[in-house]
Amino acid sequence: MSIKLGDLSYQQRIEKGIENDFMREAVSSAQGRFRNGRLTQAEELGDWEDWRQLGSEIRTHTLENIDYYLQQLSEQVSKRGGNVFFATTAEEANAYIEKVIKQKNGKKIVKSKSMVTEEIGLNQHLEKLGAEVVESDLGEWILQLDEDPPSHIVTPALHKNKEQIRKTFAEKRGYDQSDSPEELAAFAREQLRKDFLSADVGITGCNFAIAESGAITLVTNEGNARMVTALPETQITVMGMERIAPTWEDMEVLVSLLTRAAVGQKLTSYVTSYTGARLEGEIDGPDDYHLVIVDNGRSKILGTEFQSALHCIRCAACINVCPVYRHVGGHAYNSIYPGPIGAVLTPLLDGYDDHKELPYASSLCAACTEACPVKIPLHEQLIRHRQIIVEQEKKSPIMEKIMMKGFAQWASTPAAYKLSTKLARTALKPWTKDETIKNGPGPLKGWTDVRDFPAPAKQSFRAWWKERQKGEVRNGNS
Amino acid sequence: MAIHNQDAFLSNVAAHLGRPRRISGVKRPSWSVRPQDRVFAGYSKEELLAVLKKQCQAIHTDVVEVQQSELAEALTDTIKRYRGKTVVVANDKRNALYGLDQFYEQLNKEVDVHIWDAQLGKENQTIAERADIGISFSDITLAESATVTLFNDKHHGRSISLLPKSFIAIIPKSTIVPRLTQAAQQLHASVEKGERVPSCVSFVSGPSNSADIEMNLIVGVHGPIQATYIVVGDK
Amino acid sequence: MRLMKVSLFITCVSDMIFADVGKHTVGILERVGCEVDFPVAQTCCGQPAYNSGYLQEAKQSMKQIMLSFKDSEYVVGPSGSCVGMLREYPAIFKGDSEWEEAAIDLANKSYEITQFLVDVLGVTDLGSTFKGKVTYHPSCHMTRILGVKDAPQTLLRHVKGIELIELPIKEDCCGFGGTFAVKNSEISREMVKEKSQHVAETNAEYLVGGDMGCLMNIGGRMRREGKNIKIVHITEILNTHEQGGGIA
Ligand code: SF4
Repeated sequence: MSIKLGDLSYQQRIEKGIENDFMREAVSSAQGRFRNGRLTQAEELGDWEDWRQLGSEIRTHTLENIDYYLQQLSEQVSKRGGNVFFATTAEEANAYIEKVIKQKNGKKIVKSKSMVTEEIGLNQHLEKLGAEVVESDLGEWILQLDEDPPSHIVTPALHKNKEQIRKTFAEKRGYDQSDSPEELAAFAREQLRKDFLSADVGITGCNFAIAESGAITLVTNEGNARMVTALPETQITVMGMERIAPTWEDMEVLVSLLTRAAVGQKLTSYVTSYTGARLEGEIDGPDDYHLVIVDNGRSKILGTEFQSALHCIRCAACINVCPVYRHVGGHAYNSIYPGPIGAVLTPLLDGYDDHKELPYASSLCAACTEACPVKIPLHEQLIRHRQIIVEQEKKSPIMEKIMMKGFAQWASTPAAYKLSTKLARTALKPWTKDETIKNGPGPLKGWTDVRDFPAPAKQSFRAWWKERQKGEVRNGNS
Repeated sequence: MAIHNQDAFLSNVAAHLGRPRRISGVKRPSWSVRPQDRVFAGYSKEELLAVLKKQCQAIHTDVVEVQQSELAEALTDTIKRYRGKTVVVANDKRNALYGLDQFYEQLNKEVDVHIWDAQLGKENQTIAERADIGISFSDITLAESATVTLFNDKHHGRSISLLPKSFIAIIPKSTIVPRLTQAAQQLHASVEKGERVPSCVSFVSGPSNSADIEMNLIVGVHGPIQATYIVVGDK
Repeated sequence: MRLMKVSLFITCVSDMIFADVGKHTVGILERVGCEVDFPVAQTCCGQPAYNSGYLQEAKQSMKQIMLSFKDSEYVVGPSGSCVGMLREYPAIFKGDSEWEEAAIDLANKSYEITQFLVDVLGVTDLGSTFKGKVTYHPSCHMTRILGVKDAPQTLLRHVKGIELIELPIKEDCCGFGGTFAVKNSEISREMVKEKSQHVAETNAEYLVGGDMGCLMNIGGRMRREGKNIKIVHITEILNTHEQGGGIA
């Protein structure tokens, strides 16, 4: 996989999403739970707005000085017996990881959930080499067995129900018990435990690297990331270059925001900060450690009006409040990054050609912006994308362009505007019945396909005002 | 160890930021707000303990509070409750301090007790994998999230709190602080002093869990399935 | 006491389609002692073009608005969304030596009607009376862009005879989103279906809101589904009094 998931058109994806009743039910109930969890936690914490402000200040400072902090990080990791590789592209990252695995003659690789490795298509790359790659996050494992892409950045298998999961386990792994979540999870525990113990290489992503000491912090509930970092002899961390915090104190704030915004927890069961290779005499932890820092299109976002999109801490709060996501599901975005942040980030990382519809898949209700724990102005960035699509990419439909030119003329010429207020009712007369338009012409069609449109007023406000000024109408209150 | 490709990469980053590369002299600004300092500020240990106990319910973790003299008994009870046949224990200095050395020796007559032994190498992992229960002391305990902080090292393997089905944390009351903030401050301060931070700092809050199947909370996935905290009055 | 001078910013939707909203707004403002004028050169706030990415086109419209209100003391309009747009002008014209000042000036003096009543005039009880079961939809731009959350509900609570029913998940978008409703009409349909469902669950007789765009969307959908509900702009309720009132 890479950022893009498949080849269906936008229209096809939207329809497929809307028709998928199970998925919509699942997403809707998940969003309900997320909403409650997040609100309770924010309430308990009290000054949520202060926390958001702090998070936003930390991220802003970090990104403004990211070269400095990345250097500090890499030096610290190196001091602690780790190798650091700066990868400009996905290919470079994959090639380096391949080299490390080959050197160690690695056959079996266990992974804990990582979006950036999805982004660079690491699994496919390694599988081509004949290595066995096992995803150990329960949701990711389900998807891996079923060869299905994630639809959410925190709970990747959100779109699947337990019966589907039972079937997958039965077909792929000979599972013969019920579809109770406990039994399914117990089965996964037993199966994956063997993989943890026999893997030569562990690969994880990174929630926050701590520049001052070279520690990598992983935030999980299942404990799989701890397994991956404790057991294999070789361990590789792959991080998007922006996933860094200057100090432990900053990491602390970001983790507090992340767990609350993501799942409404005070902390997840495990927050693990590991540094480099294991120390002399230690048993657990890798003997051979590598940190791969990935750019893959991020640096070109720096210094643009989209820089704050790199502040994202991947909590999915924006996704969990998004009504568009609720109705179309994650796969409709055709990106491993769905929802509002996906609509912002995907065109930046992967270009407009394949993703030019995404910035429009939003009613600009700003629920995302309000939910974001680091205050990324997501809906404003969507508008900015639209501007670029119109003005620089010139990818907007010709009819729309003509209409907008017309709009500008109309709205900047009071006489034309006034005339339209006079004529609107008459112009729409042919389509009007009982003060209602059910089958509107031209651009109104999209509207009236879905709902009624009201007939314009018999007398426009300005006409009424003019009469009133002439003293023909008296104000009822006076 | 080697750092590859750093200069080209970071120079490119700086170029996009529209300025020369920053190699030194970056200071964190003082943030305009510090809500983290206000959480449970001024709480006594007793009050913090109450916070911790309440949070334990939310994270499916049993908590008992004992005097030092009752610690051995509390451990015995918990091990029985978990039907522990094999136990793996961190080789912690505090074992002696709290009189647990003799206790484990005694216990070893009924239950298989393994004290983490760096000399044994990977054997420790194998034992931990087979053990029913892992026992560790908490280094810093976070009241808000009911979290035990474990500074893992050669005497205190990461596996102890991870591989066995059940986990028992012994929490000296004096280790309780309001929240993650205080633990982070301590670690930051030690970095500033030039000290070496542990190769692994594990913040553990109760048993492992997952909500990946239809958002149902399942307690116990890859890590321990159950957890007990034993809060003990200080020496 | 000197009368407070207020210029009405009608918004193009209300000017053309929902003229009564303007009349109620005038009624309320005069009732609380404002002197209302209506600068006739005003057109549209520019939002349809701005939100679609047509910045240049939007700016032409915005300049017309700035010109129209350049002499006004206060600008008050019956829409959280359109007033919210006005408040964004400074960011849009930042660095534009010709227009930046006008943009800041306009943003600083523009208010949505309920916001003006509560935050500027300090009025929470207009002495209005309205009989009926009412549910309130807080539109997204009113609450999140303009940041007006409490004013409309404070005013509604003081209306005599009103029975206010809480709308479930009221903060959820209705799917209007201006051109979104047309450009992404399938998604918009699913959103408004859900919103209509929530409104229907309240069994309210009236759906009230502060933005005609959203009300037109939800009302239009409910009508299409044959659900019986009247949509009313908040000014209509606030401008209803025992001793007459209503539209002049
Ligand atoms: S954009 Fe904000 S809300 Fe969305 S995932 Fe990133 S941090 Fe979370």
